[in-house]
Amino acid sequence: MGLADDPVIAISGLWMNYTDRMVLRGIDLKVYKGQIIGYIGPNGAGKSTTVKIMLGLVEGYNGKVEIFGRDIADGDVSYKKRIGYVPEVAELYDSLTAREYLTFVGELYGMKRSDVDYKAGKLMDLLGLEKAYDSRIATFSKGMKQKVLLISSMLHDPDILFLDEPLSGLDANSVMVVKEIFASLAARGKTIFYSSHIMDVVEKISSRIVLIDGGDIVADGSFAELQEKGREGSLEDIFNQLTGFDKYRDIAGEFVAVMQEVPSHD
Amino acid sequence: MTDFYVLKLLDKLRGGFSRIGVDYDVMRSILQVKLTMDGRRTPTVLAGMQKKEEMKEGSPLRVQWIYLLFGVMLIPLMMLTGNYMLQMSLVFGVVMFMITTTLISDFSSVMLDLRDKNILASKPVNRRTLNMAKSIHILIYLFSVTLTLTGPSLIFCLFKQGVLFFLLYAVEIILMDCFILVITALLYLMIMKFFDGEKLKDIINYVQIILTIGITVGYQLVIRLFDIAEMSLSFNPAWWQYLISPIWFAAPFEMLIGGAGDTNFVVLSVLALVIPLLLIVAYIKLTPLFEKSLQKLSEQGNVGKSNARMVDWLSKITCKNPVEGMFFRFSWSMMKNERDFKLKVYPAIGYSIVFPFIFIFGILWDGNVSSIKGSSTYLMIYFGATLLQTVVLMLRYSGSYKGSWIYKLIPLPNTAPIYRGMLKAAIVRLLLPLFAIEAIVYLWLFGLRIVPDLVVVLFAMLIYAVICFRSYPPVLPFSERYEAAKQKDYTANSFGLLFLLMGMAGIHYVFTLFTGGVYIYLLALVVLNLWIWRITFPKSVSSAGHGSSFPG
Repeated sequence: MGLADDPVIAISGLWMNYTDRMVLRGIDLKVYKGQIIGYIGPNGAGKSTTVKIMLGLVEGYNGKVEIFGRDIADGDVSYKKRIGYVPEVAELYDSLTAREYLTFVGELYGMKRSDVDYKAGKLMDLLGLEKAYDSRIATFSKGMKQKVLLISSMLHDPDILFLDEPLSGLDANSVMVVKEIFASLAARGKTIFYSSHIMDVVEKISSRIVLIDGGDIVADGSFAELQEKGREGSLEDIFNQLTGFDKYRDIAGEFVAVMQEVPSHD
Repeated sequence: MTDFYVLKLLDKLRGGFSRIGVDYDVMRSILQVKLTMDGRRTPTVLAGMQKKEEMKEGSPLRVQWIYLLFGVMLIPLMMLTGNYMLQMSLVFGVVMFMITTTLISDFSSVMLDLRDKNILASKPVNRRTLNMAKSIHILIYLFSVTLTLTGPSLIFCLFKQGVLFFLLYAVEIILMDCFILVITALLYLMIMKFFDGEKLKDIINYVQIILTIGITVGYQLVIRLFDIAEMSLSFNPAWWQYLISPIWFAAPFEMLIGGAGDTNFVVLSVLALVIPLLLIVAYIKLTPLFEKSLQKLSEQGNVGKSNARMVDWLSKITCKNPVEGMFFRFSWSMMKNERDFKLKVYPAIGYSIVFPFIFIFGILWDGNVSSIKGSSTYLMIYFGATLLQTVVLMLRYSGSYKGSWIYKLIPLPNTAPIYRGMLKAAIVRLLLPLFAIEAIVYLWLFGLRIVPDLVVVLFAMLIYAVICFRSYPPVLPFSERYEAAKQKDYTANSFGLLFLLMGMAGIHYVFTLFTGGVYIYLLALVVLNLWIWRITFPKSVSSAGHGSSFPG
C-alpha cells in the first residue's frame, strides 16, 4: 500500500510509562499518504496515548516521533496546522454556540474568521445541523456534538486526521456520509488515523489495520493480509485470537449464572 | 460574541506581545472565547439569587455590584487619620480575604479547566501564547474584582487623604494582587502535589463555607474594631507581625505618610515590595510544573468505601421500610458526591453555623458574659435550621438529572418512602452534625440547664424539616437540572419559612415562662412529629398526599 514517498508519520522505539505502569513498549510504525489506518486494541492497550503523544498532548516519552518529516519534540508546533483531531471524550466548550466554537477553532488554526464562519456554516448544513448553528452546544445530543467535533477537525483541510471513535453517537445515515468522506479524503492523499472498538467498521473502511496489545504492535497489515496469515474469520475473531482472548463463552456463561443466582443469605 | 472592551485595551499592547513570542491574534481569540464563557457562568456569591438572565450576554464585569457594595463598606475605614498601621492593615486584611476567597471559589474552575488541554493544545498554539492567554485571563478577572472592591475607597481616599496616599494605595493594590495570585497558584500546586483532583475540588468547597462565614463574621468584627481604632492603639512591632501580609502593606503608609522612621517599618515596607515580585518570578518558573500537575485532576481518585457500613447502619436505625432505607442511602451518597449540590448548599451551611452565634458574639464582645448565662438567648440556636430550606430545595436538582429515568423504570408503588428516606438522609447527614456542634458550644456557654430546651429544639427542627419539604412542590430527588432552579422563584417561600422559624422560637420562649412548660411543649412536639410525618408520608398506596405524581 505504501507509496514511494516519505512517510507522513514515522514512529520509532516509542516507550511511555505513567507513574505506575508501562503504557507503550517500543512502538515502531510508519504511515504513508492516503492510508486509512484502523488503530485497534483492547481497553488500556495504549491507543489514545499514542495519538496524544503525536499531538503533543502527552510528554515525557522515550523514542522518536516524526510527523511530516520533522521531530515533534523540536518545539515547533506548526505541524499541528496540518492535523485534525477528534478526541475520545466529546470535549468542547459547550457553553459556546456551534458558530462561536467552530470559528474559534478555525482561528486557532490561523484561518480568517469570516472564512471559517462561511465554511463551518456550510459544513453544518451538509450534516443537517443548519438550525443548530447558533444554539449552545450544551443543548446538543451526543450525535450532534460528535458532528461538531468532526467539522472542527476538518475545517482547516488537514493532511492527517486523528480520530478517536469518530462515529460514536451518529445515526446510520450520518455514518454512511462520514465513511464516504473518509474514503474520498484518503483518495485525495490525506491520511486518516482511526481508532475504534467497532470491528465491523474498522474492517470495512481501513486500508491497513494496526493492532496493539499491552503497549506493543501485535499485527499490522490490510484485512486481507491479516486473514492470509492464517487468521480465519472476521476482524473480531482475529482481534480475539491475537489478544489471546478465548474465554468469552466461559465469562458469558458465568455472568448469566451469577445473574440468576438465588441469594443464599438474606 | 461581543467584542470586549478589555480586549480593545489589550490591542494597544499588541507589539509588546509579539516581541516576546506571543501570537497575538490567537491569544486574542482564546481570551474572547474565555470571557464569553465567563459571562455565561454564575458566580458563587450570587448563585442563590441568580434569576432568568441566562440568555443575556454578559461580561465578567456584569455581576460585580455585590463587590461594589463591599467596596463601599470599606469607605468608613478610610476616614480615620493618624493610625495608618491599624487602618491600612484592616483595609488590606479585608480586601485580601475577599479577593483570595473569590479567586478560589469562583475562578478555580477556570484555572483548572481540563478541556483546555485537549481543545487548545492539539491546535498549532505555542506554549508561550497559551500560558500568556491563561495568565491574562486570570489577571483580567482579578483586576476587575479588585477594582470594584477597592474602587470606592480609592476615589474616596484621593479626596480625603491626598494624592500621595492614593498613589501608594493604588500601587500596593497591584502588588497585593500579584501576591494573592501567586499564593493561590502555589496553594493549588501544593494540594495537587499531595492529593488528587477530587480532594482539590473538596477544598474549593470548604473555601466557599469559609467565604460565607468570613464575610458575615468579618463584617461584625470590623464594626467592632472601630471602638479600638478610636482609642488609637499604638502599634508595637512584634516578630509574628512580620508573618502577616496585610501588615506589610500597611507599613509604607506609616513610613511615607505618617513619617515613622523606625527600622521595623522600613523592613515591613521592603517586604511589601519584594515578596510579591519574588513570588511572580517563582510563579513564572513553576508554570510548567503547574501544567503537569493539572493532568492529575482528571485522574480518578478512589472514592472512600470506608463509611459504607456506617451509612448502612444509619439507614437501618432510621428507616424501617426497605425502600425508604434504599433512598436514604441513595440520597446520602448523592449528597456526598454531587459537586453542584455541595456548591449550592455549603454556603447555607456557613450561614447556619454563623447565625446562631452572631448575636451572642455581640453580647460577649461587650463583656457581658455573666448576663448571657441566665438569658433566653440560647433560642438563637433555631437559626441553625435555616439550612434546611436550602437543602430540601436543592435535593431535587442534580448535574446528572438525566439519570432520573431510573425512577420511571423501577416498579415503585408509592413515592412516600422515597421522600421520607431522602428527608431523613438530609437531616442525619447535614442537620444533626451541625446541631450537635452548636448544642455543645451552647451547653458550654449557657450551662446544663438548657439540655431540655435543646431536646425541644431538636424535635421542633424535625417538624420544621417536614414543613420545609411540604412548602415546595414535590419533585423526586436529583431529578431536575440546576438551570431550572433559576426559573422558579421561591423567595417568598423562604421568607415565610424564616418567619416560621422565628415563630417556633417564640412559642418555645412562651413555654419557658412557666415551670414544667418545656416538658409539656416537648410532649406536644413529639405527638406533632408523629402526626406530621405520618400525614406527609402516608404508608398506604391509596393516599394522595405527596406521593402523587412523577415529574414529566
